Amino acid sequence: MEDEKNHTGPLMIALQYNDLFDLDSISAMTASTNTDDAVPKDRAVTFIKAVQIVNERLVEQNKTESLLFEVILIAKECSEEIKMNIVESVKYYGLEIVKIFFCKKEELINTLQLNNVKLFLSTDKDDVYEVLHIGIPAAVLYEQSDDHVLNQLKVIFSGDVIGFSEDSLDSLSDFGFSETQIETFKEAKICMKEFAVLIGQMRRKFGQENSPLCICVLTAWGSTNVCASALKTLREWGLDVDEAFCLAGAPCSPILAVVKPHILWDGGLHNMRDLSAHS
Amino acid sequence: MSLDPVQVMKGQDPLPKTCPSASNGDSKASWDDNKDIHENVGSTKKPKPGPVRRARKVEGGIFFPKPENAVTIAVSSRVLFRTEKEQKVFEQKGIEEYLRYQVEHENEPFAPGPAFPFVKALEAVNSQLRKLYPDSEELFDIVLVTYNHAHVGIRLINTINYHNLFIERFCMTGGSSPIGYLKAWHTNLYLSADTEKVQEALAEGIAAATMFMSEKQIEVSETQLRVAFDGDAVLFSDESERIFKAHGLDKFFEHERENENTLLDHGPLKGFLEVLGKLQKKFYAKGHRLDCPIRTYLVTARSAASSGIRALKTLRAWGLETDEALFLAGAPKGPMLEKIRPHIYFDDQMFHVEGAVEMGAIAAHVPYGIAQKYPHKKSTNTGK
Repeated sequence: MEDEKNHTGPLMIALQYNDLFDLDSISAMTASTNTDDAVPKDRAVTFIKAVQIVNERLVEQNKTESLLFEVILIAKECSEEIKMNIVESVKYYGLEIVKIFFCKKEELINTLQLNNVKLFLSTDKDDVYEVLHIGIPAAVLYEQSDDHVLNQLKVIFSGDVIGFSEDSLDSLSDFGFSETQIETFKEAKICMKEFAVLIGQMRRKFGQENSPLCICVLTAWGSTNVCASALKTLREWGLDVDEAFCLAGAPCSPILAVVKPHILWDGGLHNMRDLSAHS
Repeated sequence: MSLDPVQVMKGQDPLPKTCPSASNGDSKASWDDNKDIHENVGSTKKPKPGPVRRARKVEGGIFFPKPENAVTIAVSSRVLFRTEKEQKVFEQKGIEEYLRYQVEHENEPFAPGPAFPFVKALEAVNSQLRKLYPDSEELFDIVLVTYNHAHVGIRLINTINYHNLFIERFCMTGGSSPIGYLKAWHTNLYLSADTEKVQEALAEGIAAATMFMSEKQIEVSETQLRVAFDGDAVLFSDESERIFKAHGLDKFFEHERENENTLLDHGPLKGFLEVLGKLQKKFYAKGHRLDCPIRTYLVTARSAASSGIRALKTLRAWGLETDEALFLAGAPKGPMLEKIRPHIYFDDQMFHVEGAVEMGAIAAHVPYGIAQKYPHKKSTNTGK
């Protein structure tokens, strides 16, 4: 597979094993039980299946397509048994995972960087925030409460992070955001750009209707002009948006429950627990 | 374009502001309360950051309410603006061409559509409410819910700015059904050009109506919101319509007489009249009963002496009232509407809606009840 890739692809996405597999089912295993007991979690599976569909459609159009998704799995601090189980389960459930990396906790960032990971997906927002802070693209693997698989991979970009100008981002310090947080937003914007350019290339290979990729922009508290600015910026980066939402401060979860995204880029903006000190 | 950090003008500084000093009245107490509420909103993936939540200062102390506290009106782009030309491009040349056309004309704002005067009137009421109750979230909240693609987004936002509308919330669903979003926004009223979507919304218990553009438009008030309702199958159920259609006028009268003291069942727009009433009471409480910026009308073909009584008793039992009740006993509604000049008139019968629109009144069709299956024939429109 390696030789077919040229400099534009593949788009490598990293998942953590505890997001893919139910930890309880893993810890319940002993050496003597079957090796196919690690049960994959729905939300990760729907994501992987959606990614597979995109890849299939891309290859349909161009057999030698190099800009495809590749999903790798990262497992931190695993015993030998668990390692075996993970490998077996991936095979058993037919999950298209290109590589599995076993590493120590501190090695996570290195592993991501060495492998040119274009997106680190996690359900843990602290992890996402930490990784973003270093400048590695990271987003939230969003909870799919239903079982059903959408036949579309849905990605949401944060209209706030993309739409705010440099100056506006700087002036966020007036509202209690720390320097570190502001730096993270700026990093997030740069990371989003990288990812957006690649995804934009993919998106353009499909028409408006019946596309396996759906791009959304969600502006949680910027005004409509911030949203317009985000749409224009994304267009400059080569990414045309399908759905757009502007909330002006309304709670996000009811809307997200309808959109049902797989990948949610929020730039760490909504992981602000420290702000409680400022109100 | 300079950023003034304090006075946030729409279109300039996009940041939401915390307003410890401004219109938000008490600072600490209400913020903490609200924060708790936000954190309790399910296991949300996006807990709102404390101070930068939803308080925003746009053109002097205006903020955007939580959807469940406000009266949320969802409008589609085709009723808020005139998009006939673009519709034609879509129908004749398909979606790719349509989107290309929209992007090409991005900087040309759309002209106002049938729902435009209604939305402007809602904003006028809002500014009055804000003066009297600066901290309250009980306001009208207008959300643009369209199944347009986000490609059209920039043109829509440009148009909103051009017409100086206070719309900061929208959903562009890119072709998927907007119904789920209507529920997420706690929508009180949905206006669209598409009858199917409206029927879907009605089936989900959301008040909804279709609007049509007319060439003739009578002038409406800019300071007083006027909403007119038909009775049967709009405020009330279509029970009596059914009797009338099945058994004729005499049976209808008999039935109404016998059931004078039985309440009619509620119709799809009852809830909307209710929320209007709540806002009206806020004005009355501050001494504005006579010059209340919201005025409601019942315009029914029922007759005052007979069948109208049941309607009035029902309203009273519900604790609702309309400012004026016009019992036409079968007379045509057009001239009455021309006098009233409502910003919107809800009727379940297309015949009446068309008649109203022809006269230049703003009418909306509520596709509910038996009248949809048996559309009225002009000659048999006798009194009820």
